[in-house]
Formats: sequence, C-alpha cells, structure tokens
Amino acid sequence: MAASSWIGRPVPRIEDRPLIQGLGRYVSDIQLPNQWTLVLVRSPHAHARIRAVDVTEAQRLPGVFYVATATDDEVFRRPLPGMSPIAPPVLAYERVYYVGQPVVAILAENRYVAEDAADLVKVQYEPLPSVTNVEHALKGDLLLHPELGSNIVDHVSYRRGAGHEALNQADVVVQVTLRMGRVSAQPMEPRGIAAIYHPADDLLTVYHATQSVHRAQERIAEFLGMPTSQVRVIAPDVGGGFGVKNGTYPEEALVTYFARHWGHPVKWTGDRFEEFLGTYQEREQTHHATLGVKKDGTIVALVDTYYQDNGAFPGGGIMVSRNTARNLMGPYRIPHFAIDGYTVLTNKVPQAPYRGAGRPQGHYVIERLLDRAADTLGLDRAEIRLRNLVRPEDLPYDTGIPDLVYDSGNYPEVFRDLLDLVDLPAFRREQAEARQRGVRLGLGLAAYVEISAGFGFEGARLVLSDNGTVTLYTGATNQGQGHRTSLAQILADTLGLGLEDITVVEGDTAGIPRGIGTFGSRTMIMAGNATHMAGERLIEAAKPWAAELLEAHRDDIVFDAGHFFVKGVPSRSVNWRDLTERLKAAGSAPLTGEEYFSSNVATYGFGAHAVIVEIDEATLQLRIQRYLIVHDSGTVVNPLLTNGQVIGGTIQGLGSALWEEMQFNEDGQPLTTSFLDYLLPAAVESPEIEIHHRDYRAPGNPFGFKGVGEAGIIPSQAVILAAVEDAYRDIQLRLDYAPVTPKRLFATVAEGGNRA
Amino acid sequence: MIPMTLTVNGQSYQLTVEPRWLLADVLREQLHLTGTHLGCEHGVCGACTVLWDGRPVRSCLTLAVTADGANILTIEGLAAEGILHPVQEAFWQEHALQCGFCTPGFILTAVHLLQENPEPTREEIREALAGNLCRCTGYQHIVNAVQRAAAALSDNHGHAPSGQ
Ligand code: FES
Ligand code: FES
Repeated sequence: MAASSWIGRPVPRIEDRPLIQGLGRYVSDIQLPNQWTLVLVRSPHAHARIRAVDVTEAQRLPGVFYVATATDDEVFRRPLPGMSPIAPPVLAYERVYYVGQPVVAILAENRYVAEDAADLVKVQYEPLPSVTNVEHALKGDLLLHPELGSNIVDHVSYRRGAGHEALNQADVVVQVTLRMGRVSAQPMEPRGIAAIYHPADDLLTVYHATQSVHRAQERIAEFLGMPTSQVRVIAPDVGGGFGVKNGTYPEEALVTYFARHWGHPVKWTGDRFEEFLGTYQEREQTHHATLGVKKDGTIVALVDTYYQDNGAFPGGGIMVSRNTARNLMGPYRIPHFAIDGYTVLTNKVPQAPYRGAGRPQGHYVIERLLDRAADTLGLDRAEIRLRNLVRPEDLPYDTGIPDLVYDSGNYPEVFRDLLDLVDLPAFRREQAEARQRGVRLGLGLAAYVEISAGFGFEGARLVLSDNGTVTLYTGATNQGQGHRTSLAQILADTLGLGLEDITVVEGDTAGIPRGIGTFGSRTMIMAGNATHMAGERLIEAAKPWAAELLEAHRDDIVFDAGHFFVKGVPSRSVNWRDLTERLKAAGSAPLTGEEYFSSNVATYGFGAHAVIVEIDEATLQLRIQRYLIVHDSGTVVNPLLTNGQVIGGTIQGLGSALWEEMQFNEDGQPLTTSFLDYLLPAAVESPEIEIHHRDYRAPGNPFGFKGVGEAGIIPSQAVILAAVEDAYRDIQLRLDYAPVTPKRLFATVAEGGNRA
Repeated sequence: MIPMTLTVNGQSYQLTVEPRWLLADVLREQLHLTGTHLGCEHGVCGACTVLWDGRPVRSCLTLAVTADGANILTIEGLAAEGILHPVQEAFWQEHALQCGFCTPGFILTAVHLLQENPEPTREEIREALAGNLCRCTGYQHIVNAVQRAAAALSDNHGHAPSGQ
C-alpha cells in the first residue's frame, strides 16, 4: 500500500463547485426534447373496490396525450418487478390497498395541464373496511391478500442458549411493550425519473434519482422484456436518498414503459405531497420485550416478539424487520435470547428501508430495556451498560446471530470516555440547580454497534486517459455522500496522483457493467476497497510499458508514489504521463484496470451517544442543551465527510425521536402530508453535535473501512426517551412510544407519567 | 398569456407567461435556470428562495406575473465572472452541503442575512435560516459556513460582491 497522503485528509469536495452555483443537474432539471410529463391520479382510499374509471373528459383536454388505466392494457396489470412474495400491479386494478396507490396515469405537455386533467378523472370507489394496525391485522378477519392466506408476510426467528426458559435464572424480569411510530425519509429532492427511447438502436436511456443504477436497470429490463444491455440507467445529481430511492416503484415502470411505447421522452417528478403518499416509509413496530437480569445488572436473557406494520405490500419492509432482529443485541453480551419478528400487512403505504433500516429499532428495544432494568434494580443507567458491554477480551465476539461477529474496538473504554466527557457528577449538580429555576434537565445515554455491508460486491473500472489522468467508474451511486472526492482520495494514494488528475463517474450503467449501489453504509467499504484493487491492476497493466521505456524486464519494475523505476534505481523513472505518451505513440488502446471487491464480512463500527435535554417545567418546551458522540469510524478517508454523515444522521434521528410521525386516522387516511404537519428538524431546534473519534481499523477488509452513514441515527429514539425520562425521575416518567412529540410528552406528564 | 419583463441576474427578459405559472417554474422552464429548486411547493423548505430586489422570496409561492418589472437574483447569478461569492466559497470549504438540493436556498438566504447583519452569532444564523430545510447536513456545517463567510466579508470589506 502506498504511503498515505490523501486518505485521512479533510479535503473540501470536488463535486461542490457546480452545486453551489446552481449548476447541478437533478432529474427535475433534465429537459428532454419534446418531453411528456407524467402525472398520477392516486387512491384517496386505504381500501376500496374500483367500480368505474371515467377518463373521457381528461382525455379531451388540449395538451393531454394519453390517459391510462389498468383496464387499458395488460402491461398496467403486471406486478411490479423486484417485490416478493406479492407485488401490486403498476396501476391499481379492481382494488386499491392504500391511500396514494397510483390508479390513473396521465401524459400531457406539462405538469399544469396534466394536473388539470387529473382533476377531470372520475373514479368511482366502493370503500371497503380497512386494516390500519397490527392488532387488527393479526385477528385475521380481514385478509388483505387472500391468496397469501394470512396478513403475516414474514416471520424471522432466532434462539440462543435456553431462550425463553433462561428467564427463570434471572433475579429480576422487566417486561414492556415498546412502540415506534411511522416515519418518512423525506429527502429534499422528491423521487423522479425521466426516460428517452432511441428506436434505431432499441436503446432506452433512463435518468433516475436512484441509489442503485444496476438494480434499476435489471428491474426495468425485466418489466419491459428488454435485455439489460439495451437499458442504460444514469443517476444524475440525486438530492438525498436515505434508502427510499432504492426500491421498486410504479413510476419507474410507467415512465420507462411509456417512453418506449410512445417513442417519446417522458418525465415524472414527484411533488412533496406524493413523497408523503407514495414513497415507502419505515420504523413502525410494536415490541413485546422482556429482559431478565441478575441483581448486579448482568443480562441473563432477552425475549422479544415484535410486529412490523408493513403497509399493503412488502416494499422492502421484510428486510427491515429481519435486520431489526440482528440489532437487538446492541453492543451487549446476551447469553440467551428468543426473538420472533413478524411482518404484517395493513392498508398503508409499504415500508422499505430508511436510513438505519432496523438498526434504530433493535437498539431502541435493548437500550430501553436496560434503562428499565437499571431503574428496577436501583442501579445507575450508566453502570448497567458498563456491566454488559462486550469487552475487548471477548473479541471476536459471536453475538449468537448467524454471521454477526463483533471484531474490533473497546466498547467499555469508549463508553467511559463518554461518561467523562459528560462529567456525570457535575451534570447531577446542575440538574438539581436547574430544578430550582423551573427547568428540568435530563441525561440520556445509549451505546450502539453499526453493522454495515457484509454481502455482495462493488466494482471500480479505471481508464488511463491520453493526458495522464484517470477516470474511475463505479456502480456505487451518490446522493450527497461525496464519493467523487473520497474515492478519488483512495485512488490518488494508490496511483500517486493528485486529486485533480482523477475523475470519478458514478451511477451510470454504461460506465461499468456490474454494480450494486449505495445503501446500508456500504460504499466506502465495498467501492473503496475495489478502487484500490483496480488501481493495483492498472499499475500491473502499466508495468510492461514502463519496462519498455526503461529498457528493462517487467519483473524488475517497481512502482512507488506515481513513479515506475527499475528496482534499486529510483533516480531514473517514468510517470503516468510518460506512459500515456508512449501508448499514444504506439497507437495502443488506453490502459484499464477493473476489479470487484466481494465480501460477506460485515463491519462493526460502534460508539455511544449522550444527550442532555432541557424542559421548561411550565410549558414543557424541550430544548437540546448538549449532544455528545464518541464514535468509531474505522479508517477515515475524509474527516469532513465522515463528520458530515454522523451529524446529518444524528439530526435526522432527532426528528424521528421528537417531532416526526406519520399519522393515520382509523380509516387509514394519512393526516401528515405536508411539511406543516410532518415536522423535520430545522436549524433552530437542531443542536450542535460534539463528535469525539475513537477509530479502530476494521479487521475484515484490506483498508479497515467501516460504515458511517447510520451511526448518527441508530440510538436517537433510545437516547432521547431516556433523557426525557431522566428529567422526570421524580415522577418516574415512563416512555414506551417514540417519538416523544410535544403533544405526547404533555399527555404523559399530565397523566402522572405512567404511560405514553 | 400575459407579457411581462423580468430582470434576472442582471439580464432583462421579455416574457409571455400564463397567469397561473409560478415564478419558480418560469425561471426553471422558460429561462432554464434550474438552480432554483422545488423541494415542497408549499412554502416551507426554502429551496426555491430567490432574492427579489435583494430580499429573499419563495418563488414557489409567487405567481410569475406579480414579478413584472422585478429584479431577481438566482443562485446562478451570485458568482461574478467565475469568482465565487464568499458565501459560496465558505459553503464549499466548510462542507456545508451534501446532496446540494437545499443549497441554493440556503446560500441566498445567508447572503441576505449577512447584508442585514454582518456579524451574526451562531444563534442569529440559525434563526435566520429557520425557514430553510436541509435533510442531509444537520445544519452545523451550514452555520460554520455562514460564520466563515461573515469573517471573509468583513476582512475584504468593500471589495466583496454585494449579491445584488
Ligand atoms: S419549494 Fe418553495 S418553499 Fe419549498
Ligand atoms: S444538502 Fe441535501 S438537503 Fe441539504
């Protein structure tokens, strides 16, 4: 490995110059020649039979080209690709299953006209009884999809040791039902997609706000019955993804189908309302959890049975439910457990991974249980954690869940560092003082493991250009993470080039034949290592040419920091520019290097959060006074970017702990469908985040990278609920529902604190 | 269709627009200035912010025809001849953007803030940016950037582009 000079440096991003000048290119900015705009008429009912659809008036409106319903053509009744075991048709046929499900598609000259036409569409619905919560769904009196025979679409189960039986060995058993509300990712750029078909080559080019161009390519090819080679998917600038721009959606099928069928460019850009109605959501689960502990706080057994309110179709929700199980252990030693997770269908928009994707859910449960157990035992909440954290001598620590073996770091030391930074005794004094002023202070603590990657591959393809610069193509995509800079930093070290000599092209299936994409904090681990490997390959490919220039044998050529020379004679060397000159003169094809890094070894970043909340006794107004993170990022490529990920994730997490919740009425009607009702954290309520790094290389991949995209959001609900409870220790406030919104906090305190 | 005159980034345009078209759509689709982004179209996120005679307005809530004769600055007009405005430069240096979708709105709002209040505290900056949403950064680096820009602007007082 070359001496590190770029890796580890807080370099400002290469991608920023166009973005800060308004020169970015997002899907909504793309104007294809004579493009048609797609607008959808969506279901206003959570569950209904479609009696009739009348589109005559809409069809007649000047500027409208085509209005499609499911009865028009078999293609609209085809199931969405990439969703099993049950997928909705592209346009609702006979029945609608959730508010927001697309029913009619309209193509018009622009959005103004298309939306006029949407107003003219008349759909007659016969509302049906709907299932809007897990409790109802489990009764089984109303099956959403009778062909499945049940509303339960998945069951995940893990046992370790004596499982449930082990509770008998505990001195104290705490039992609690913990709930999490539904949240919505809400990237600032809504989803969007545009496509243009070139009949001469039977080639479809798709501009897609997606986190995975290759998966999108496969789905589109499958749906349209085209070879993948004829579908090119490009992710231009993407305005945030957070998981929800990664799945299969009806709009993808519709836009690509129409573009090919009509031979006319078609574009759909969702608006914010659609982002609330039609984009997949997350987090909604109910856990019936039990923790058995010894008198000294040592964990004996964890028993948890939980239900995920998944909405009307699987979406990607099954993965979320399964990943929840894998996160229930947190960073703790749990010798016995029995876990059963059920994914349950209801009449809501589906769940699919949103930043965290099961990690926050699992940690929420174990962290809340530890707080409950400590309170019951009269033990300090910090102390119970120290007694159960995985110790360095336990590593590698097999969690008891298949393929999850914690491998690095020092969990108790990092947790103690956090406690020192908080200065617990000082805080307790301040807490007592503040109380005299009518201000309640509360401290929340939570620890976590951030499990990242652990499956699949990612690739990098390098091309040495004529002027001695290198272009890197990768299937990983970017929704703001800054890979064009961080991957360039890795490659700059490998090849001994400057950042200005490297161009990173992400998110274009024409750039590299295979790829998986960016999600689950995997890109640095997978594409980062692949980039270095591809660099090594490029160096090998260059050696014969260097040998020729140096009039030596290729086996005698060594490469160091951008220079090729004969072993032992570094004074006479050639560089990349010399090589390209030689290649040009020889009329040779450009040198390339392509490598794929595959690994089934996950990475295990870890850390701990502390938050101090300040609550006005009279108004219950809550403010975050301090937020501290001690965090392991593994090998850090660019500290600016790493901190950006951690801070951004933390603030998002505060949203889902304090303000954000998708609310539905008893008929399944969503009530929070604008930024006025669904409150994202803004600048004033967002605290400053103090990050302290304790970075341990990951032993499981060559560079020691770990995921960092989710560290911020994992403990959010756990740590905030803990802090609010601590502020009300005198009335033994118990919070079993996240988020603790102002309204919920008020109601709970008003009731004397015993339930949320 | 209504004829109107609009000055955008110093250039005057004679336009004919439908009365119901939003200023944001006219900028984006008729003038192809797509740096003005639409994040919510209901006045909350601030991504569509432009400066109208120097003051921030939400172009998603503004009917284009009401801007007849107005002088509009969009994000594309902020850098003078390839030289970044100090606020842009500071956003870059401080890593104040990730996906960049919210960024034009934040930058223009910050430009206005620094004209009104050249030395804002962190609290004042947060207050001034309260009408803009960012889902990626958690705001901290944005606040850092505005502070940095304030320092830069006061250092080369009188030389900096005014953002007008
Ligand atoms: S798009 Fe105008 S405020 Fe959100
Ligand atoms: S940088 Fe993505 S929304 Fe602000």
